[in-house]
Amino acid sequence: MAAVALKTETGRPQGSAATRRIRREGKVPGVVYGLGQDPVAVSVEWPELRAALTTDAGINALITLEVEGDKQLSIVKDIQRHPVRRSVMHVDFIRIDPNAELLVDVPLNLIGEARELIAANGMVDQVMFSLSLWSKPDAIPTELQVDISELTVGDSFRVENLTLPAGTRTEVDPEDSIAIGTVTRSTLEAMAAEEAADAAAEEGEEGEGGDAEGGDSDGGDAGGDDADGGDSE
Amino acid sequence: MLMPKKVAHRKHHRGRTRGMAKGGDNVTFGDYGLQALEPGWITARQIEAARIAMTRHIKRGGKVWINVFPDKPVTEKPAETRMGSGKGNPERWVAVVKPGRVLFELSYSDEQVAREAIDRAIQKLPIKCRFIERDEGF
Repeated sequence: MAAVALKTETGRPQGSAATRRIRREGKVPGVVYGLGQDPVAVSVEWPELRAALTTDAGINALITLEVEGDKQLSIVKDIQRHPVRRSVMHVDFIRIDPNAELLVDVPLNLIGEARELIAANGMVDQVMFSLSLWSKPDAIPTELQVDISELTVGDSFRVENLTLPAGTRTEVDPEDSIAIGTVTRSTLEAMAAEEAADAAAEEGEEGEGGDAEGGDSDGGDAGGDDADGGDSE
Repeated sequence: MLMPKKVAHRKHHRGRTRGMAKGGDNVTFGDYGLQALEPGWITARQIEAARIAMTRHIKRGGKVWINVFPDKPVTEKPAETRMGSGKGNPERWVAVVKPGRVLFELSYSDEQVAREAIDRAIQKLPIKCRFIERDEGF
């Protein structure tokens, strides 16, 4: 994986007002730390940061930071966003050793269609969205693919079922679930309500078999109202 | 409706709602979320109405998470009562919400239906809200 170059400015003023001014100029305040060296407060240009983190390598892209003329290999450790505007407020870079393993969160991407599960009115409940992996910097995968096509109701895809890329390992419990095939409570309630409505309609037809035709529609309406009332309580 | 099983104090001060949500501003469990854009009090009835609106629209095959809990009691004095004689009686429970807070999350296979379900839930709430998706990558 090739590293992306990113220029930084050091010596930015500290404090909330000064930081707001930096953001207004189209820059993102940040900090560089790691490898036993002192942390350095920096700021980076927002378009350059966005370009660095939207490559094929994704959020775990290797970045060669230029800090005071010194080039340091790093990755993004954390990003703080504004709760409403979602703009990047602050970014943490961590220095990395190109020959040492590092811990990164790799996104998990579900692929395939669980036909058997869908036929049983079930759904795939993804409970883990990223996996912490130990990997050398040049072997960090962009994403891990989870094939859920064999998933059935009550079944789960676990970490142990995952095929990790060469040169990576995880310390996450192998028994932890990534995706579970489940039938939700609301689906069960909807199915029960439909069955009750069907049963009520059948009873109405049988009861009104010898009577006038007008009574059928009244019975059906009453059944529908009851079902709705049961949902809302 | 949602309400605490037991509380340390039956009556609370109203307080002030300042600033943005400190946490809970991301979609964590589901694929889509309903995010508050204004501060406000959401009553247990409104939470339940929004939940029902969503579950009725998605019908089956989806999952809904409620990320807020109404743990603040709101008191009221009866109508046509003279002032004084102490604080009123607890009448309802509210969740204090700040801008950015994700109130509900939804997991569903079809984004269009999920969007419609969340739009219906928004109609049941007293503050401005919006549909958001899970932050994937950058």
